[in-house]
Amino acid sequence: MPYISFLIFIPIVTALVALLIPARYTRVFPWLTVGVNILQVFIFILMVIHFKVDGSLQLIEKHSWITLSLSSWGQLQAEYLVAVDGLSFPLVGLSVVIMLIATLSSWHVSKSRKGYFALLLILNGAIIGSFCALDFLLFYVFFEFMLLPMFFLIGIWGGPKREYASIKFFLYTLLGSIFILIVMIGLYLSVQSPENSTEVVHTFNVLYMQNLENFIPGSVLDATTTGSWRLWAFVLLFIGFAIKLPAVPFHTWLPDAHVEAPTAISVVLAALLLKIGGYGILRFVYPVFPDGAVYFSDWVAGMGVVSIIYGALNALASKDLKRLIAYSSVSHMGFVLLGIASATTEGIAGAVYQMVSHGIISAMLFLIAGVLYDRTHDRIIENYSGLASQMKHYTAFVLIAFFASLGLPGFSGFIGEVLIFFGAFQSQSLNNLVQMWMPIVATLGLLLGAAYYLWTIQRMFFGPFAVRANFAELNDLTTREYAMLLPLAIMALLFGILPQILLDYINPFAESFTSMWFSLGINANP
Amino acid sequence: MSDAITILLITLLIPMVSAGIAFSVKEKYGWLIPIVSSLLLLIAAIAVLFPLFGNVQLTEQFSQPWLSIGNTSVSIGILATPITRLMAAVVLFVSAMVHIFSIGYMANEKNTDRYFGFLGLFTFAMLGLVYSTNLLITFCFWELVGFCSYRLIAHTQQKTAASQAATKAFLLTKAGDVAFLIGLLILWTQNSTLELAFITSTSGVWNTVAGLCIFIGVVGKSAQFPLFNWLPDAMQGPTPVSALIHAATMVAAGIFMLVQLVPVFTPSTLWVMTAVGIVSALMGAAGAWLVTDIKKILAYSTISQLGFMILALGLGETTGAFTHLLHHAFFKAGLFLAAGSIIHAMHQATHQTEVDVQDIRQLGGLRKQMPVTFIGFAICAAALAGIPLTSGYLSKELILTAVHQKNMWWLTLSVWIIVFATPLYIFRLLWFAFLKPATHVLTVNEAPWIMRLPVILLALGSITFLFQQGHLSSFATQILQTEIAVPTRIVIISLAVTAASLLTAWLSRNLSSRAPEFLIQYFLDSINLYLVRLTTFAGSLTTTFDKKWIDRSIHTLAYGKVMLAHVAGWADRNMVDGTVHGVTWVARGLGGVTRSVANGKIQSYLLWAMAGLLIFIIWMLY
Repeated sequence: MPYISFLIFIPIVTALVALLIPARYTRVFPWLTVGVNILQVFIFILMVIHFKVDGSLQLIEKHSWITLSLSSWGQLQAEYLVAVDGLSFPLVGLSVVIMLIATLSSWHVSKSRKGYFALLLILNGAIIGSFCALDFLLFYVFFEFMLLPMFFLIGIWGGPKREYASIKFFLYTLLGSIFILIVMIGLYLSVQSPENSTEVVHTFNVLYMQNLENFIPGSVLDATTTGSWRLWAFVLLFIGFAIKLPAVPFHTWLPDAHVEAPTAISVVLAALLLKIGGYGILRFVYPVFPDGAVYFSDWVAGMGVVSIIYGALNALASKDLKRLIAYSSVSHMGFVLLGIASATTEGIAGAVYQMVSHGIISAMLFLIAGVLYDRTHDRIIENYSGLASQMKHYTAFVLIAFFASLGLPGFSGFIGEVLIFFGAFQSQSLNNLVQMWMPIVATLGLLLGAAYYLWTIQRMFFGPFAVRANFAELNDLTTREYAMLLPLAIMALLFGILPQILLDYINPFAESFTSMWFSLGINANP
Repeated sequence: MSDAITILLITLLIPMVSAGIAFSVKEKYGWLIPIVSSLLLLIAAIAVLFPLFGNVQLTEQFSQPWLSIGNTSVSIGILATPITRLMAAVVLFVSAMVHIFSIGYMANEKNTDRYFGFLGLFTFAMLGLVYSTNLLITFCFWELVGFCSYRLIAHTQQKTAASQAATKAFLLTKAGDVAFLIGLLILWTQNSTLELAFITSTSGVWNTVAGLCIFIGVVGKSAQFPLFNWLPDAMQGPTPVSALIHAATMVAAGIFMLVQLVPVFTPSTLWVMTAVGIVSALMGAAGAWLVTDIKKILAYSTISQLGFMILALGLGETTGAFTHLLHHAFFKAGLFLAAGSIIHAMHQATHQTEVDVQDIRQLGGLRKQMPVTFIGFAICAAALAGIPLTSGYLSKELILTAVHQKNMWWLTLSVWIIVFATPLYIFRLLWFAFLKPATHVLTVNEAPWIMRLPVILLALGSITFLFQQGHLSSFATQILQTEIAVPTRIVIISLAVTAASLLTAWLSRNLSSRAPEFLIQYFLDSINLYLVRLTTFAGSLTTTFDKKWIDRSIHTLAYGKVMLAHVAGWADRNMVDGTVHGVTWVARGLGGVTRSVANGKIQSYLLWAMAGLLIFIIWMLY
């Protein structure tokens, strides 16, 4: 069964079907979308059953897609190659769950529902496609396909400054895309398929790109060529994905996009789109250019540490609740970068774990901001006080989300962070990629994280009740909101208390990732 | 899993289940939870302790992998040694007492479901910390303890002061926790394990650094200098919670951790510990003598007592420190619960008016009005002061012996000052609250039996009525079979110092001029405030940087693009279009010429034809 293809194309086909339904049947669209989401959850459960945890690629689907003979140039070959492994499988699972919750959270969208849900479905397919594609061209198509719905979803259904935010988002990511495109072309020119020895077959297969032997001698990105452009390619590709992550200083699109985006889109943006950045670095940048990764390891780790501290400081100064959460995302994704930079088994596994955990927790955080915004249309922190006395259950979820996000043991965030620290601390003695002072400085981010969340709780939820905003009623959570928040809270707890259930999937990937580095002789003592 | 471990696991689950039920049942049935839980907790305390009678060498460990990746593996498990059993029993017992007391104390309060829920969770977290076999798991429970105390301090969450105190407590202890985590990670890089059983004593710079970092964590959690200023503020929480925090859970966690880790610390770390212990003990005593709030006096007293224990730990006297921790758990819980009774009774007597019932200058004459509470309080106070026949005396002597063996004058001197200062402040509290003639004319009623009972039980636990090798001994020394061989010289000096202290206290009993605020606390608070301001300032700087530099360069880039587009547009209009226009203009001009030529007159056509022919002929000829 082509599970992955089902997962990718069911939403896209449904989106096309939805376009044929007259827009006046407004009730149909959310139900259609939620049906697709539930179907995807079932497909994912089937995938879990069929997934063998042995470190190899699973559920591979391989078909020829574009084959062009270019006479003396050899052959161009792009394949439809999708598969999952320990890196992408947890992220696919996360996508499936988050998209379901995003649909639930957009239940009451009023403006042109047909377009909204069709775009959401396209986004759904494109995200899962990006996580599963192992052919660079195929990945790039899905990657670009993601931008378009996102641009419109922010630009049409967003807040007052939505045009600015959506254009900023688009420009940033487009810049990243261009960098990725340049490197992709370079790789295409340099890599040949080992399947065919009689003729040069240029391929986009990422697995082939990860083996230095497949590079055509003398080509642009061949390691043996003198004056190779490999380091430049690393930088370009890394920046391309760092924009998505986002890492400081490529992050300023994020707060604006988040503040203006509707709740559901914020959830998808924070929980899934940012993960494409981390995923891209782990799937493309590091395995394809390990030499660049070693050369720039200080920079990558430094960027991670700066993101952690800088994001946290910005969150501390934020007056808008959503802006605070957006900057906290910058801070938490900095940990991912730090873990990757260490290139140790613990660090890599920690980075993947942190991505999944941040997906769960940030979704919760944005839903929480959305709950309040739905009631009062105001997100300024200082306009609230003592909400705990009026909204008991809401406050309970806020506490869970905030403390999960600040890394309280028992929640998934702690496991991710602590694994990253394990990796980063031993890196100096193991492979000398990350100096020990860097993670020590990064721990300051934990303290700052506690500070901005606790101050927010103190200002908004404790103290005497007062709201300086217009609102009709300040009800506690509705059933729909419960249905969105409770599964996320349970997941955050589950992955925090029993980390091994997720690590069993991630470990083989992390181990093969690091063993690849060992095989390249990088971990030898410098 | 052996039976003994199963029993310990059940004792761990009791408070957890209690918390779960408290969170989920309707508030109407909330009163059932503390009754059932406290009974179960009491039974659990006995069950934990039972195997120890007659068999102190009992050590068992059960563990199971929890997280494993690469060459890191962390196991979760239960460590059953006499030390963990005794600590767990005390935690369970004190928690049971606090549960019982809370039935009366919280009778008229709201949100008791949340209160008892977090009380259960708090106990669970502390037990988990005690039983833990791995330092990372210890850290997890350590953080959880901090979270529960945060939530309980902010129990009356509408009160701004309470929520501020809770935030402060969490942030200051978190600062310590971050250092603790760094320490653990460094220890891990050195030993490549965090299993308590496998961490071996090592020397070296990194181990000292690791030890110091872990100790900073303890400084935060156990409220030592310079991270102690959250503890007096934390008195905003309900009084039974303070009893739990000060006796068995939060602050005790730090000392308990050190008891287990001191054997692997390097000598330099131990010296730092001694120094910090002395400073905290002296300062806590001074603070307790100066402030007027009944709960804050007890809070400073805790800082002082914990400093005393850390000093002992720094000297390597783990037995003395640990027994003192256990004794302290009893008498400090007793003191706090008795103080809670007073506050409760005074609140009822003043009918909730705006009288500061916690100011000891407003109290007095309670000896007659609350006789049972008085007796309980007095016994616990005596234990704190280290008067013979009490448990506090025994452990104090143990620590004093260790101090004298070191034979260092500054150490000895400062410890005697601490011994002198302790009875001074606690007698003062006793005098103002109970003995002094009343300044008010209120009729104060004795607390209900449900609140008296825990106080009396805790006071009983603070008396030495057991015999062991011809000595009086407390429950802790009895079970641990501690050898109490104190030189007579020390006994005499100690008795003399205590007597002198009590005499001084009696003579200065009416001295009531007190500083409005403890200066060192004020000083540290302002340092904290500056740090907060600095951080906020840094935050505003980064925000400006985002707006001014990053966004502006993005905008410049965007404007650059737009400008480029304009240039291209201008070029399009003036150059490309201009060329096209120019071409059309030329074409039109030419067209005009040709049009004027093609004017339809036969004669002119003939003329042009003739001219053409002429030119052709001339060209052909030459």
